[in-house]
Order: sequence, then C-alpha cells, then structure tokens
Amino acid sequence: MAFKLTEDFKARAEKLCARYPRRDAALIPVLLELQKEAGYVAEEAMDELAKFLALPYARVKAVVTFYTMFNREPAGKYHLQVCRNISCHMAGAPGLLARLRAKLGIGEGETTKDGLFTLSAVECLGACGAAPVMQVNEDYFENLNGEKLDALLEDIKHGRLRAGGR
Amino acid sequence: MPKLTIDGKSIEVAKGTTVLEAAAKLGVYIPRYCYHPSLSISGNCRMCLVEVEKAPKLLTACSTEAAEGMVVRTDSEKVKAARRDVLEYLLINHPLDCPICDQAGECGLQDYYMEYSLKKSRFAAADKVTRQKRRALGPHLVLDNERCILCTRCVRFCSEVTKTSELEVMERADHSFIDLKEGKALDNDYSMNIADLCPVGAWTSRDFRFKQRVWFLKKTPTVCLGCATGCLAEAQHNENVIYRVMPRPNAETNTWLCDRGRLAYKAVTAGDRLAKGFIKNGLIDLEPALREAATRIDEAKGAVAVLGSPWLSIEDNAALAALAIEAVKTENFCFDFPAEQGIKDGILINKDAAPNTAGVKLVKAARGGISLEELSRRLLAGQIKVVITEARAAGFIKEALKAAAPRLITFATNRGEIPQGAYATLPYASYFETPGTFVNYQGLKRRTEPAVTPPEGVKPLWGLVNKLAAYSGDSLHLNSSEDALKGVKL
Repeated sequence: MAFKLTEDFKARAEKLCARYPRRDAALIPVLLELQKEAGYVAEEAMDELAKFLALPYARVKAVVTFYTMFNREPAGKYHLQVCRNISCHMAGAPGLLARLRAKLGIGEGETTKDGLFTLSAVECLGACGAAPVMQVNEDYFENLNGEKLDALLEDIKHGRLRAGGR
Repeated sequence: MPKLTIDGKSIEVAKGTTVLEAAAKLGVYIPRYCYHPSLSISGNCRMCLVEVEKAPKLLTACSTEAAEGMVVRTDSEKVKAARRDVLEYLLINHPLDCPICDQAGECGLQDYYMEYSLKKSRFAAADKVTRQKRRALGPHLVLDNERCILCTRCVRFCSEVTKTSELEVMERADHSFIDLKEGKALDNDYSMNIADLCPVGAWTSRDFRFKQRVWFLKKTPTVCLGCATGCLAEAQHNENVIYRVMPRPNAETNTWLCDRGRLAYKAVTAGDRLAKGFIKNGLIDLEPALREAATRIDEAKGAVAVLGSPWLSIEDNAALAALAIEAVKTENFCFDFPAEQGIKDGILINKDAAPNTAGVKLVKAARGGISLEELSRRLLAGQIKVVITEARAAGFIKEALKAAAPRLITFATNRGEIPQGAYATLPYASYFETPGTFVNYQGLKRRTEPAVTPPEGVKPLWGLVNKLAAYSGDSLHLNSSEDALKGVKL
C-alpha cells in the first residue's frame, strides 16, 4: 500500500523544520507529529519521511527503532509502557511487568485480542524519583505496586481513564 | 605545534593530531576497532583508552587531540585493566565461531584477546543474547550480526565514502544490530571494502568465504588493471591459486578498491581462460598456432599492421613495436590511444577503462608510429591485409576491421575477449602471472609482480612476439621483460 504524507501534515512538518538550523534536526519532532496523527510510524511512512527530510531511509529507521516512544505498529487503545531502566528496575518494575503479562496474557510488544491493551517495556521515562513508573498513553502513573496496578487496570477496563492522545 | 610525551618518549606534532596518531608516529600501537584512518572518528568501541596525566578518567586516544605538555601512558596497569574490561564487554554476546569464521587469523577480537585480555569468560553460552546469523546482503557480502561489535565502520563507510548511506545501527543496546532497508541489497561499486574494514567476522566476502584460511595466504604486490586509476593492490594466493585481491592503501591513489577491480583476478582461472591458440574457431596447440600466424604475416609482408594496446604493459607494447619495426619491417604501426582520463565517480573509477593509456605514450615517444585514424584510413584503402593486436584494442578500429576484413591476429587471455572475425588468437600470460609496468592517469609508474604461474605452455606476450619473429626468420632477442623494452625508457 502506497503511503502518502498529506498536504496538511506536510505543512505542519514544514513549520517544525523551520525551528531548527538544519532540516534533518526536525526528524524526531516530525516523527512524534506523525505518530500523534496515525498512532504509529508505518514502514512506508519512514520512506516518505526520509524523502521529505532529505535523509537516508536507514537513518529514519535507525531513529524510529532506537526510541521506545515510537510505535512501529498500531497499538491497542491503552498502551501500557513500563519503564525498565535502573531506578524502576530496582524499585520493582520486573514484578509489574510479570504481573501485567500474566493478567493480560500477552508478552511485551503484544496487543490483547480485544485491542484494548498493548504492553511495552520502555527505556527511562525521566521520573526516577517516583519509580516504578508506567506510562499509559500520555499519562504517567507513579510509585506503583501490585495493588495500585490492579486498581488501575480495573479503572481502565471500566472506562475511567481517558484514552490519551486521541 | 604541541609537544607531548607518550610512554616516556616525547614528540612534537602538528596541531589537530590525535593522541592515537601521535603514538603511531612514535611506533606505539594503540588497539582500536572503530577508528579507521580514512573514516570519521566515532569513539564508540573504547578500545583505545589511554591514561592522560591530570585527566580524571581514561581518554579515547582516537578522539583526544594532542595538547602541549600532555603526558600519556598507554601501558599502565589502569589502561591494561580497561582493555581487559572493554574486551570482556565486546565478547559478552560474541559467539564462539572462530573455527568456522572466515575472519579467524585476521580478527581484531582474536588478536586483542590474545594480547590484552586472556580473561576467562564469566558468561555462560546460555546467557548470550543471540542475533541474526549469516545472511547474504547484496551480491558480494554476507552479514553475521551475531559477530558484530557495532563499531560502525561499515555505516560510516557507506555514508562518508560511497555516500549511499544504506546502513545504520537499528534498535538499541544489546539488541541493536546493523541493517539496511528490508528487501534492499547492499550493492554499491565499493561494497567489498566493507569486508576488509570490518575488524571482526561480521562482514565477509561472498567470493572469499570458506575458500582459504588467511594464514595460508601469500601476498604479492600488484596493480589493479581495471581502469586508468591504477590502484595499488595485493594479490593473495596459495599453491598457485589467487584467492582475493586487496587494496594496498597509499596516499597518492587509493585507500580502497572497487568491487570490479577486486574481482578482475577471476579471469585468471575462469572457464574461458586460454591455454592454447585459436585458428578461426578451432583450438590448436600454441606452436602450430604461432607457425600459422607467422606464415600469414610472411605472406602479407608489406601489408601488415601492428596495433599496440592500452591494456598491455609497456614491455609488451614495446615488444609489439619491435616486431613491427625490426621483424615485419612495416610502417603500419600505431601506439596512439587518445582517451579522456579522470575520476568518474568521485572515488576511484576512471573515465578511461584501459589501465595503460599513459604508458603506451612512452612507447610512441620512443618508437613513433601512425595515428589510429591513419591506421583506419589505410585499412579502408585496402593497404593492409593482416592486423596484429591485443584482443580488446581491436575495438579501437572495429569499424575499419569490419569494412576492410583483413586477417586479424590477436593476443588474448580469455576466450570472451576475442573479437568477432579474428583469424588467429594467441594466448598470453596475464599480469598476475608475469611482471609488467603500467602508467596510471596521474603519470605514476606501477609494476605488477607475478603472483602465480601461467597455465602450462602460456607465455608472456613479449615471448610470443619473439617466437612469431623467429618463425619468420628474424631474431628479436627478447628473452626477458627487460629485453622487451628495446629502446623504450621507463
């Protein structure tokens, strides 16, 4: 399927590019903008973006795959992103991840069959002081433990959390 | 001009010189993976860490500029410990492939492990993060990501030298790997340099894979004859078989070698390699072929033309000139090949596809001769009944040959080179088998050395010329490549 950047998107991307001395410097902001619009960064989109920013395709792909904040396929309605870096790891992130895997019946990088949840282990969310941390769509949930996590999942299932970013 | 001390020896270097380069000048070797003199500095492998007085931490020698009064130690206990630790990190996920790895014997990991580490692994095989094993990426290369230490030399080569930017490091941390666009091939004109650049066995050459253990290879200096650039190269061979050709980096012409030039050696053992003569379409032993050719030359005396070749060495061209002037005694000889020269792609490949256009000029200067146009004119005027030339050079007078249809006697190494309609073809020894002097587009004289012996019975071209003359009753006394020069000054 041929992917086309819309004129509207291109106009917004041009504005982002204008903020930087070099066009390629806008890569990450433009990727974030694209993800905001489409929910994920598709393979074809990387190709289009590379042309748009006059970058080699491999450079775009390298950046997209480096950062856990970019989804390479559509995520579920709620994207559970558990930080796995040192502070969160020591404060219990592996336990949270194991709990989520068991409760949702999916592994990291997978989405539940009902399309409600996607589980990811991500790199530092920059909230070490409140470890362990999980980001759900755009919202942070801090100082988590097993009980808090269970309650949060219940809330989400009953629609008591807005689907951020959409 | 900062003056610094490295391991107790002092040296003054130009501003901007790095510690690693300054150390090299002193003969102090600092181990490295990501550093390459012809690529940008990356500083990612950490192998070149050295101790600098007053610096709180060890510094990477490759990216630290030499400064006035700097006191550097490359052999302190702290540096040795750092090297051991860096190697331990690099080897954590490296497979134990050495017995089946082509890089074994010229591997940075093996060499440095033996020299600086010898540490027992603290990781069980089961703990290793495995990555994708070998897969062909493009026509010339195989990538084994599991062996990769992510030094990014290949990535930088593609972005800085070929400017094709196919490669990047994908993903992150211990699951990162080198990759290119899915479904794409790594196919630029210089891709095989990546196998040389790779300090470990991640990139290997499809042509060379599993053909020979590197420690058996003997090295003979040669010149790439793929075009007028005349890159310095090295034929690596064992038991009379060439296995690969590598660049001999030099400041004047080349650091790299193009893929086509690298694979030119394949013609030496190709299926169509000539070991016998050809008369019309029939294979025939060399002696009868020579006799037949000599008879035709004698028959046409006075109407014989000799055309040199920019694909032949100065020696062989000089022998052809001697044949024309002293044996056949004709004025119809031509050593004039005008060609536009210069680098075509901004890297190495020349506009002039022949390796010795400049060298033939020396023969022309010493022995004279007519121009290509004049030769064509005489052909078309019916003044010439026999043309003697090298197979590819016949292309210069293709139209006239077609129209005038003289008997064409050519010299060729491979059957594929023989021009259509050739009457007789004589096989000669390639420049991997016989010495030859060439002059590249910069006017630099370069000599090939024989790496292997020619197929049985095959002689250097000057030797064939000597025999041709002898069959016609003339003695040229060409008994060596030096004799062949005959008045042509190198």
